[in-house]
Amino acid sequence: MTARAGSAALLGQTGDALTAAARDARRAWRWPATLAAAAVVLALLAPLALDAFQVQRLAGWLYLALAAIGLAFALGLAGMPSLCQGGFMAIGAFAAAQLRAKGGVDPVTAALGGAALATAAGIVLGVGFVRLGRVLFAVATWLSAWLVALALAAFPDISGGAQGLAISRGSAAGLEFTESVHYELALALVVLAALAFFAIARGAPGLALSGLRQRRAAARALGVPSTRLRLGTFVASAAIGGLAGSLSVQLSGIADPAGYGAFLSFKLFAAVLLGGAASALGPLAGLGAISGLSQLSHWIGALEHLSTARFDPMITALLLLVVLGLGGAGLVPCLRALAKMDAAPAAPRAATSPATPCRTGAVLAAEDIRKSFGGLVALEGLSLEAAPETIVALIGPNGSGKTTALRVLSGTLAPDAGKLHLDGRTITAEPTRERVALGVVRTLQRTAVFEELTALENVLVGTALRRRHGGALRTVFETPKARAEAKGERRNALAILDAVGLGAAAATPAAQLSSSDQRLLMLASALATEPRVLLLDEISAGSTQEDVRRLVRVLEDLRRSGLSIVLVEHNLRLVRAVASRIVVLDHGRTIASGSADQIARSPRVRLAYLGTQHL
Amino acid sequence: MSLALQIAITGLAAGGVYGVVAIAYTLIYRLTGVVQFALGEFIALAVFGTLLVAAGTGPVTQTSVGGARFALALVVGLTVCVAAGTLTYLLAIKPYLDRGSTIGWVAVTVALAFAIRALVAAVFERPSYVFPDPLPFRDIGKSGVVSIGGASVQVRSFFVIALAFALAAAATWTLERTRPGRALQAIASDLEGALVVGIPVNKLVAIAFGVSGGVAAIIAIAAAPSAPFDVDTGTLLGVKGLVAAVIVGFGSPWRAFAAGLVLGVVESTIASANISGAELGPSYREVLPIALALLVVALRQRRDERLEYE
Repeated sequence: MTARAGSAALLGQTGDALTAAARDARRAWRWPATLAAAAVVLALLAPLALDAFQVQRLAGWLYLALAAIGLAFALGLAGMPSLCQGGFMAIGAFAAAQLRAKGGVDPVTAALGGAALATAAGIVLGVGFVRLGRVLFAVATWLSAWLVALALAAFPDISGGAQGLAISRGSAAGLEFTESVHYELALALVVLAALAFFAIARGAPGLALSGLRQRRAAARALGVPSTRLRLGTFVASAAIGGLAGSLSVQLSGIADPAGYGAFLSFKLFAAVLLGGAASALGPLAGLGAISGLSQLSHWIGALEHLSTARFDPMITALLLLVVLGLGGAGLVPCLRALAKMDAAPAAPRAATSPATPCRTGAVLAAEDIRKSFGGLVALEGLSLEAAPETIVALIGPNGSGKTTALRVLSGTLAPDAGKLHLDGRTITAEPTRERVALGVVRTLQRTAVFEELTALENVLVGTALRRRHGGALRTVFETPKARAEAKGERRNALAILDAVGLGAAAATPAAQLSSSDQRLLMLASALATEPRVLLLDEISAGSTQEDVRRLVRVLEDLRRSGLSIVLVEHNLRLVRAVASRIVVLDHGRTIASGSADQIARSPRVRLAYLGTQHL
Repeated sequence: MSLALQIAITGLAAGGVYGVVAIAYTLIYRLTGVVQFALGEFIALAVFGTLLVAAGTGPVTQTSVGGARFALALVVGLTVCVAAGTLTYLLAIKPYLDRGSTIGWVAVTVALAFAIRALVAAVFERPSYVFPDPLPFRDIGKSGVVSIGGASVQVRSFFVIALAFALAAAATWTLERTRPGRALQAIASDLEGALVVGIPVNKLVAIAFGVSGGVAAIIAIAAAPSAPFDVDTGTLLGVKGLVAAVIVGFGSPWRAFAAGLVLGVVESTIASANISGAELGPSYREVLPIALALLVVALRQRRDERLEYE
């Protein structure tokens, strides 16, 4: 009985979720979606009108496009200049060819086997490379592409040597893998990959990756799991590339090592950049431009009885150089700008915003912290305690160790000695991300907003770590929980923007905000992590007196809501207005602490600041 | 013994070339933060430019070109290479450096690599070319090959090794003893400081960008007559030089040079090595060093980007 009621309730919930999803889909549906859907239907029917050779060529092109979309995950979403996508295709292709030719397995198993091996290669390379900076990452992946190409040339046992490996089409589960079957399969995979890319780019993982791409340090300070996300996108790239390779090789019936050189990797790289790295249709458009031009040159060459195949690299290279020279946004973003499709829809306003952006504060206690850089002692015997509903201000002359103190508290620097406790729990060894999860978050000294994102999206980056249902897979499949969570986070983010006084700017790109608004936005992003202890590094830098008055109100509100706040500040007016307690540092040592009045009377503070005891 | 000697000399001759190319990568990287992915193709441009002026695109024998004509060809080939490098930096790389777009200049340099390859392959259609040799090494020994301690080696190898060392020394001397060289060092260590004291940074860096490629081209041309040459030879040279430069983390020119020498010797060792019956053999010659370099990069995990200050 209860089981039946339970399942009925579950069915009801599912029905509701589906209805809601359908409603949202209807609302989000615009004419380009109709166009795309019509194009896909037309494309599905194409084999009816074409001969087998044409279908085979189109299917091959679609598999290449699939690999390009795969690369867009790493290149477009994470900004990792991967130059070895062709290498992953090669690994998939030759693994599948070996499985078919020598293992005698069916086409589907061979394809999955090839994709699996490419995924494994992606994991191995990714673990080695994703923590590298962009330049070394490009070098490492470029050399990897060469490694694969040279290995194929060096080991004819694997690659079949100059003749390559011949494979028959074969069938799986009674289905003959003809050109048409490959074509429909390729089309379906391309559509799925593009939709997945689209969903991830717009969802929580996409925002986090965008933050990492623009300002890695700032995103990490908000607890964004940098290495994990980058590794995930790189491995996804490798897996999709491997699948494309292992299927396309079965379509063509021959695995020829000459086709998997460094140029293939470059061609895919160029296709993604040409089309626009950050859009789902970009790789298709870019690859279309390359193939179209090369086809055109073949026709022109045919008139003069010239073979133009060897000019293909030149065409690809020149096309890329021209597009980069023209500004480099890529085809799809350019078209979109022409069609004015990017007019941002007005951010939905939160009607009744539960303005509780924070958990209650916690006691962060530093105990006898010491930190030196070589011979320079940056901090010596620092002890301080930040408690709920208080603001501790750290002040001192330049180079006195204030920022070092914040970095130690937030976990970007490990202290040489001393201990940190959060509500009695020792957190000295916890890394930044762990501390953000526990509720200790810091804003950076430099203005570091994510300029390409809107204010609202900036705040949403701060929620990355907290999401339970915002993983890549759940985002792709839009599970009801993921959708509900995304909605909730959006409401919450708007409430936070309201709380710092940026509610009206929610849909404004961060680059267009004034510098003091950008600093407020950094504060808002930090608040989105639901901190218990807030560490603010010169939040008032570049502020006018009016801005400072606004900041005083915001900080007072936050303090009253129960947060523990540590403030590093140069602006003594702000400090006097809000600080419950002031700690003065000089050359890494604490020379005074107490209330504002006590500090103002301290002769040592005067000495440190003004260099003389007599004013 | 004789085998070891042969491996060493062959390896050093190849490694000397890798080493000078690695120096070029290193200098460019330290001055601009750019990895010149088209360096191998710029070298090929110089080699084939020289060949074009010396002998045209037809069949060549080693002896068919006179000294004066070859000298002219050499000047033309190197000038084209240096000018192309300098212009590439100014027109295609600098704009992206100014914008802070790593992906932009990576794309430009790799695109140039393939464009130059296609251009050279379009003009020089045969699969490979013999490079003319104006120096009379073939008159020494048995048509240019001598026997030393049982090992038979090309006389040219000694010339290539000596020239490689000379170029490495000249590069170091230029950097340390001449005014422009010291200015370049200043730029590499502190760009803003160099600007403040009035060093014409942009001009110097652009010229150095081109000249680095030219120096690498000199050693490639010197080694070219040793074996048939095609456009892939230049590209592979670029890859190997990069491997050497990466292994020492784009450190100092001398370290890059040393890494190149070691790479050459390791390659020739692998090519003729037998490990307990299982032949390593030439198959592994190209593959193992790259795999090793990648391992080194992964283990070192040095971040080459100027991390945001935090």
